[in-house]
Amino acid sequence: MRLCNEMNSVKPHTAKSESAVIEITHLKKSFKDNAVLKDVTFTVGKGENLVVLGKSGTGKSVLIKCIVGLIKPDSGNLKIFGKSLVELNRNELDKVREKIGFLFQSNALYDSMTVRKNLEFPLRRDVKKEGQPEIDRRVKEALANVGLTNTIDMMPSELSGGMRKRIGLARCLMVNPEVMLYDEPTTGLDPITAEEISKLMVAMKKKYKSSSIIITHDMKCAKLTADQMLVLVDGLIYAKGTYQELEKSKDKKIKPFFE
Amino acid sequence: MSVRLYFQDFFIETGETSRFAFRFFKEVFTPPYEFKEFLAQCYNVGCKSIPLVGITAFIMGLVVTLQSRPTLVQFGAGSWLPAMASVGIVREIGPVVTALMCAGKVGSNIGAELGSMKVTEQIDAMEVSGTNPFKFVAVTRILATTIMVPVLVIFADTLSLFGSFVAANIKGEISLSLFFNQVFEKLVFLDVVPSLIKAFFFGFTIGLISCYEGYNSKKGTEGVGKSANSAVVISSLLIFVIDLLAVQITNAFM
Repeated sequence: MRLCNEMNSVKPHTAKSESAVIEITHLKKSFKDNAVLKDVTFTVGKGENLVVLGKSGTGKSVLIKCIVGLIKPDSGNLKIFGKSLVELNRNELDKVREKIGFLFQSNALYDSMTVRKNLEFPLRRDVKKEGQPEIDRRVKEALANVGLTNTIDMMPSELSGGMRKRIGLARCLMVNPEVMLYDEPTTGLDPITAEEISKLMVAMKKKYKSSSIIITHDMKCAKLTADQMLVLVDGLIYAKGTYQELEKSKDKKIKPFFE
Repeated sequence: MSVRLYFQDFFIETGETSRFAFRFFKEVFTPPYEFKEFLAQCYNVGCKSIPLVGITAFIMGLVVTLQSRPTLVQFGAGSWLPAMASVGIVREIGPVVTALMCAGKVGSNIGAELGSMKVTEQIDAMEVSGTNPFKFVAVTRILATTIMVPVLVIFADTLSLFGSFVAANIKGEISLSLFFNQVFEKLVFLDVVPSLIKAFFFGFTIGLISCYEGYNSKKGTEGVGKSANSAVVISSLLIFVIDLLAVQITNAFM
């Protein structure tokens, strides 16, 4: 485990730069006078699961929203698949987003659409290119992957919290993502369902060989899914290491997460 | 809140709404077009409003005629009843009542729906999946209200005139053909066309304000309620302002 100094001048800690899928350097973001991300630097390698730990309000969600272009950073560089996100125009950004799956904390299922339409939504521009039968096949495959084939014609309001989370995950899988971003995937779920979702995330990583950033407070989820972990404190990366390394830490800012 | 802050908020909101409108005009002409969603919204705005607008318009026609008839008869102008009803309904009652009903039904619906989509991150999810959410949710709805409100106004005028005929015919004094002959005899170009142009602006205003309020919803579920409420209140107020301007412009040409 490494504790990072205050200025957070962290060098890429895992994969070599050429195999890095996400490279973030000196990322800063403020909302009016509130500096949420003060100086964040890290990389995520190909096929790597990076768990980001941190108390509420430390900028974890802001961080992954910056990665997907939902929030524009104030400064710093952010590269995905070798492309600098801040320099991309709308069409180029959409092309990058086609390779990214984002599981929102609230699932963000479209209330007015059935499960089928929700899953088809990311591919609706491809209907002419790929054909409706191919889209149907992929919808069924994604639902089979999360074990919910029987919900295809149901509305989101008819699903339980765990089912909605699985459908949210299935929708992410529709684009065969190279990068998955999870914003607190197990929040609000009972321990059994939370563990099922965590195991599903690991299974999907193996199947799709995707890299992931997982924002979570759930240490069981972190233990199951993390290859590497970052601890974010006050908008800075405070520590990094594997789950086992961080678990042994006696540091007063890290220890409470594991108690 | 001090008067200064109140005015500051007012001008900021007006500026932001204008920016929203400019963005609409920019996005509406650039591909890709969300044609299927536009048709779905036309159905939601138009077809689903037919019962409410129809019943309201019929009752308004009935009531206006019942209220006017005794006075006109008193002055010996009972035969002018169809003409008076037609001009009143086509110029004013049809467009304004339809627009107000749509502001209530469609405006609150759009404000709440978009507000809810905003606070539950559905709009962000669209953005992430490579869809322009402004085009998908706002442009389609603004276009749908702009086109469907005039259609509803024509429908409302027709039913309102029929309501007026029913009221005039309660004592069996006038036939359907005679009533409508008198109606169309008195209606002129400057009654019908400005009223439909006005209806386009009403529709645009309802769509624009409702989408703006919903799209910029904040503060969770409380914000959703506020968006729906503001969508109805501001749209209704603007309908009267536009109506006032439209009357002045039409009178200038008469």
